[in-house]
Amino acid sequence: MTDLIARPEANDDAVDAGDALGLSEKPESLGRQAWDRFRRHRLAIVGSVLLVLLAISFWVGPYFAQDFDEIDVLQRSQGPSRAHLFGTDDLGRDLLARTLRGGQYSLRIAILTAVIATSIGTLFGAIAGYFGGVVDSLVNFLVNVLLTIPLLMVLVIFGRQFGSRPNTVAILIAMLAWLRAARLVRAQVLQLKEMEFVQAARAAGAKSGRIIMRHLIPNLVGILLVEITLLAGTAIILESTLSFLSLGVQPPDTTLGTLIAEAKGSIDTRPSRVLIPGAIVTIIILSINFIGDALRDAVDPKSGIE
Amino acid sequence: MFIFALRRLFAAIPVFLVATFATFWGTSEVVDPTDNLATCQNCSQAAYDRIIELYELDKPVPARYASWLGDFATGDMGSATSQGERPVSEIFWERGRNTLLLALPAFGLLMILGTATGIYSALRQYSKGDYAITSISYLGLAMPTFFFGLLLQVVFAIWVPKYLGIKPFWSSGMHLESPLQFVRSVTLPVMTLMFVLLAGDSRFIRAAVLDIKSADYIRTARAKGVSERKVISKHLFRNAMIPAVTVWSLNASALLGGSIITETIFSWPGFGRLVIDALFAGDLDLTMAIVFAIIFLVIMFNLLADLLYGVLDPRIRYD
Repeated sequence: MTDLIARPEANDDAVDAGDALGLSEKPESLGRQAWDRFRRHRLAIVGSVLLVLLAISFWVGPYFAQDFDEIDVLQRSQGPSRAHLFGTDDLGRDLLARTLRGGQYSLRIAILTAVIATSIGTLFGAIAGYFGGVVDSLVNFLVNVLLTIPLLMVLVIFGRQFGSRPNTVAILIAMLAWLRAARLVRAQVLQLKEMEFVQAARAAGAKSGRIIMRHLIPNLVGILLVEITLLAGTAIILESTLSFLSLGVQPPDTTLGTLIAEAKGSIDTRPSRVLIPGAIVTIIILSINFIGDALRDAVDPKSGIE
Repeated sequence: MFIFALRRLFAAIPVFLVATFATFWGTSEVVDPTDNLATCQNCSQAAYDRIIELYELDKPVPARYASWLGDFATGDMGSATSQGERPVSEIFWERGRNTLLLALPAFGLLMILGTATGIYSALRQYSKGDYAITSISYLGLAMPTFFFGLLLQVVFAIWVPKYLGIKPFWSSGMHLESPLQFVRSVTLPVMTLMFVLLAGDSRFIRAAVLDIKSADYIRTARAKGVSERKVISKHLFRNAMIPAVTVWSLNASALLGGSIITETIFSWPGFGRLVIDALFAGDLDLTMAIVFAIIFLVIMFNLLADLLYGVLDPRIRYD
């Protein structure tokens, strides 16, 4: 148990050694320092490896597996065998191929959702923080309204209409998941805009659009990276939940949540059909969360001083 | 404080109106109550006209919202077309009670366990107990609610009966015949409702207490010679209550609104299950009544949390 959780204090010896040598040492780049801080979190490294392995199998695996949509009525509801490692479903489709396809779609939707939601949040947050006043109040009001609406219910209401294809599912979830990113970015921009380099840019005659795009947002790259990572985890939960209620991606295509929903009926006889995709979802989110936590530590310049 | 409460209440009104109007509009766009009639062979034009008239489908959405809101304010929630035109209010209170039967025990346990594990974890940072709590929290944050619910079903409804020959808990349905049956049927859904929220609460309170632990006033208290027990119970605990109130208000909203999954898995006849059924049946009044109630409660819990901050932290002044 002890070595499972990274200790932020467990400082890397290499960093200390560099400090001891003092000025003769070439100063470390910001990226290098961030990587050193990231590396301290062993679980994040394990998570990254797991995630890469899973992604490779989701994207490369289908070339070697059977067709995920091939129906073989003679092989319905079979247990695991040499021909079908995970068995087959009620229509005789190979579950290994379906799991790979489902994983691929779940990951794709998660990444897409995270990128869209963070972009929307950054845009709203940056505008609200930079301009302040009425614009800020308007964005704040919008955020407050969206926070009171129960997320899952809205997803359910609109999932029926728009949730049928992977890209629309991603956009739907992103429309509701950008709030945290907006708040984060707004708070950061409020601080940044008072800094000298922004004042200097303004004094040099830079327009608001240029200041936001060239001076403010590049300074937010760190926290945005963290936000995208953690949002991807949230997106997988939401997407699989939506699919579980059969409101997500529609057949014949599938995601991990859909696979669990389909297997729910035969949970008494073959619990493994629920447990395998469920465990994969959990491992993906666990890995993403570990990476996100480590990234947050890595991009925070303050966390190096210990 | 009273003035503050009143002012917050007034500020919440536009949020409430816009939120409910947006959901009303969205629902009207997506749900078509005449859908069911399109596939119905025996339904006459009269039935079709009646649905149009009932939901005023010939009028624009804002007009429909205004008239619906007016009815709602006077206590008329409409009638549930998907349940033999029973009045919505009747179904609403019945199902609401069922949801509370799950939400109240879950909320109580969350308050106790979330605070206890969070504070313990922070005070004994990097101990074995902290590692155990942290590991379980990470698992809780990574597990979708529906998967945790199904996992509980696999363990307690399949594996335990198979290998131990006993079935300690009901894995589906609501059983209220006796207190024992109630506990047996409520255990698994309450655990499911709690698990994900508990993980988040515990982490949040742990982080907050870690901050408080190294605060100046704690050091001052120790330096004055205040006993360790008193430092924890009077100084640390009271200050930890402030972040705790924040998560509790979020928990309360989540428990009432987010029970869709848990109620679906455990066939519990509450709000969450009802809203999905109503939605699929094109039952506008029933859907909106529940969404409306949840938005209202979310706003109320936020307001309550704001007021409680003032009680817990005398530095917060409402003027």
